[in-house]
Amino acid sequence: MNRRLRMWVLLLGLAGTAALLVAAAFRLPAFGTGFHPYGDRAVHEALARQTANTVAAVNFDQRAFDTLGEETILFAAVLGTVVLLRQARDERHVEPAPADVAAPVRRYALVLLPVTLVAGLYIVAHGQLTPGGGFQGGVVAATALHLLYIAVDYRALERIRPLGLFEVGDAAGEAAYLVIGVAGLLAGSSYLANTILPHGTFNTLSSGGTVPLLNAAIGMEVACAVVVLLARFLDQAVEIEGEGANEGENEGEGERT
Amino acid sequence: MNAWLVAAAVLMVAGLGPVLWCVATGPLRRRVAAQNTGTLLVCLVLLLLARGYARPPYTDVALVVALLGPVGTLVYARLLGPEMGDDPQQGPLTKAFAVIASAAVVLPLCVAEGPGRSLVKLLLIGAILVGGNLISSKALAGARPKEADDHG
Amino acid sequence: MADVLIAVALLLVAATATAAVAVRDPARQALVLSVLGLTLTLLFTVLQAPDVALSQLAVGSALTPLLILLSVRKARRRSLDQVRAEKEAEEGGT
Repeated sequence: MNRRLRMWVLLLGLAGTAALLVAAAFRLPAFGTGFHPYGDRAVHEALARQTANTVAAVNFDQRAFDTLGEETILFAAVLGTVVLLRQARDERHVEPAPADVAAPVRRYALVLLPVTLVAGLYIVAHGQLTPGGGFQGGVVAATALHLLYIAVDYRALERIRPLGLFEVGDAAGEAAYLVIGVAGLLAGSSYLANTILPHGTFNTLSSGGTVPLLNAAIGMEVACAVVVLLARFLDQAVEIEGEGANEGENEGEGERT
Repeated sequence: MNAWLVAAAVLMVAGLGPVLWCVATGPLRRRVAAQNTGTLLVCLVLLLLARGYARPPYTDVALVVALLGPVGTLVYARLLGPEMGDDPQQGPLTKAFAVIASAAVVLPLCVAEGPGRSLVKLLLIGAILVGGNLISSKALAGARPKEADDHG
Repeated sequence: MADVLIAVALLLVAATATAAVAVRDPARQALVLSVLGLTLTLLFTVLQAPDVALSQLAVGSALTPLLILLSVRKARRRSLDQVRAEKEAEEGGT
């Protein structure tokens, strides 16, 4: 296929997509009107299961199976990154040097770290009540830990980050979601059905049946996955060097790696 | 559309417009400073929107901006520090703007809120916002070229 | 009248996205990208989707810049190392 032909194929595809999009846009209900067939049903179902945040009810109850797929995508992506960014045979490991960060910045980061961590857990725990949930809170909590790299140095982060434990946590979060799904099956209804727990009182922390549990599983999986992902990137950027570096010191590096 | 939403729209146009210009042009240190100011402005706009729409849970979004915005700026100060070593430093005007703009938005919101738990939350967000912004400005001013060769 | 806010947010997103493409250096692009994340947060909030806004914010404010800058750092060091190694090889050969 030459360049010209490829451009024609691309143009054909783009024109087809554009035509379909325009045709679909004309069939949409007008913007800003009160006609919401899906929204009305979703809100009705969410209120029936005592879940105040309808988005959480859609993600973790009505369409919980979709969320399982999304969670698995993240899990697989992180797994792929771990394999791709491992230390190769022709690379060697160097000790990270301590960084020079201004004292007020360091102090501020050490104060901010627990605050951000608590904010992340708060967003996970209130997923069924207010905007947020496992994904958002998990990312915030994982970012909090990396304040140690950003404002102190990499060795400080390595000290509080037992990577093996986070890898286990990543897998355990994924597994917990699957197990909660099977629990619905064992209780006599369908996979991931929100019937195994009482739905509780509207607008309290324990409301929503399995929604808070699934949120917690996702929160754990995402937080651990982000930590593992960033660890690979940080190792590559900070600790692992290619063979071309510092030519003179490279003799006998086979033993060192 | 109430007064809070009008204020939010004005802040979006008059604040984020210049921020966008500064972040896309000029020396690197000014770009990072503009990004820092951008997080501050977005947090203030989000607080105004939460009040304007009368939806208190929306303040959670502002809380996350106040917490993570400065973290982003610290990332840039840390990893781009060697590159912006010789750029001109930001004057005290940026810091003064951060304090004045935050006070001008958060204090009226507090007055409208009245005493209660939401007031404590608002004041907390305001404190984290101003503190984080000033600290990341400091980190930005301290970024020097001598770190150019470390691996840390 | 509430549409004014939506229009302003959409225009900001369009302008920032264009700027992100127009800036060519990856490190500087990362800066515009994080401002794009902020404007998207505003757009989602104005469209009454705070959950999506929070997702965008969590990922876009610190995580994405960190990943991009670490990759840029690694790539730059590798190309620097290659240049250095080639130069040394040339000097050794002559």
